[in-house]
Amino acid sequence: MSITKARAPDGSHWAELMASVTQQRDRESFMRIYDHFAPRVRLYLKGLGLPEGQAEELAQETLLRLWQRAAQYDPARGALSTWLFRVARNLHIDRKRREPQWASIEEEADLAGDLEDTVSLSPERLAEQAQLASRIDRLSTVQARVIRMSYFEAKTHSEIAHELGMPLGTVKSHLRRAFLHLQQGVQEAP
Amino acid sequence: MTPRHHLSEATLVSYAAGALSPEMTAVAATHLLDCAHCRRLLTSAESVGGALLERQQLLHAPADRHARLRQDMLSQLDRLPPQDTAAEITAPPAGKPSDPDRLPLPLQPYFGPNWSGLRWKWAAPGLHIVRTATPGPDKLIMLKVAPGRAMPVHSHQGSELTQILRGAYDDALGHFASGDAADLDHDTRHQPVAASGVPCVCVAALDAPLSFPGWLARKLQPLVQL
Repeated sequence: MSITKARAPDGSHWAELMASVTQQRDRESFMRIYDHFAPRVRLYLKGLGLPEGQAEELAQETLLRLWQRAAQYDPARGALSTWLFRVARNLHIDRKRREPQWASIEEEADLAGDLEDTVSLSPERLAEQAQLASRIDRLSTVQARVIRMSYFEAKTHSEIAHELGMPLGTVKSHLRRAFLHLQQGVQEAP
Repeated sequence: MTPRHHLSEATLVSYAAGALSPEMTAVAATHLLDCAHCRRLLTSAESVGGALLERQQLLHAPADRHARLRQDMLSQLDRLPPQDTAAEITAPPAGKPSDPDRLPLPLQPYFGPNWSGLRWKWAAPGLHIVRTATPGPDKLIMLKVAPGRAMPVHSHQGSELTQILRGAYDDALGHFASGDAADLDHDTRHQPVAASGVPCVCVAALDAPLSFPGWLARKLQPLVQL
């Protein structure tokens, strides 16, 4: 599986494939999504410390959920990668903490959520997604480090502080600045 | 209820990343239920997770392994019909029963389902608390401060994340009312004073023992034992 950056599909590509999954239950389209994302979800879960077998199993479950709940995915509310990230994260936390509360909290917050804030999948929205990717490249070394430790290793602020030999407040301000940097432009959406 | 004090960006990022302790998560989730502002920021912190997921550098997985998983997925697609989720999605949140005795859902695993079931223990004059047994290093407690009463001045070695559930308090950082979060840094020293009228009830997650600097506070610490 060779994925070069030049051919990296954008958000509208996934939105079109998802539309045929939702409307026609098109297996072909779904498997194209699967081929792209399943290895990434698996890698993400392995990074969080899951053994190979469990990472595979949870990645399959994540993608299956997408097939079953395709109608829930609304491209106007976020990228497909974000939807998959959220589901994989929740499945992992559920397994780790055996605390099914987490998933239901998320769903409840989503339901109570900002439907009125929904914006259509505009060119601006797609540009934002591309912009976010390039902003990630421009994080400072230490910001990239604390972001990776948070998202890919699920380390708490104290754990990061301990590991990097940094005061807790410094870790928090690096995370804060990294987030503000990544968010510029995204936050301006109405 | 529109909260005016919010979760910090660092807390939201870690919540989105699934990297907060369970206790901090419970408090943050309670705030998020009431706060559209923080839910919006959370969405954007989650999209960072999505972008990172997308951009991972893949190593070449063994082709036969991927083929096997792929085949396994294909065979499951036929067996699993789509779930009828349309009703679920459009169900109005207002349809939820809003029993005033119900504790916020994220707190229920720790404190039980109802306000009336809380077992308050006297901790100091004007202060009652409910402790929880948590397996990790973080602590999760519920505090009830009598109207007009002050908590001792305290600072923290770690972080303190508090959500105000009922009533209100004031400190040097401002007025904190029901729905507000106080997401405090380790170097914050403060002395919350409950507003008059009704008791102020908060839930707080602490990731390290508090330190009490003043002589009076040091006298109080054994009483409060936070």
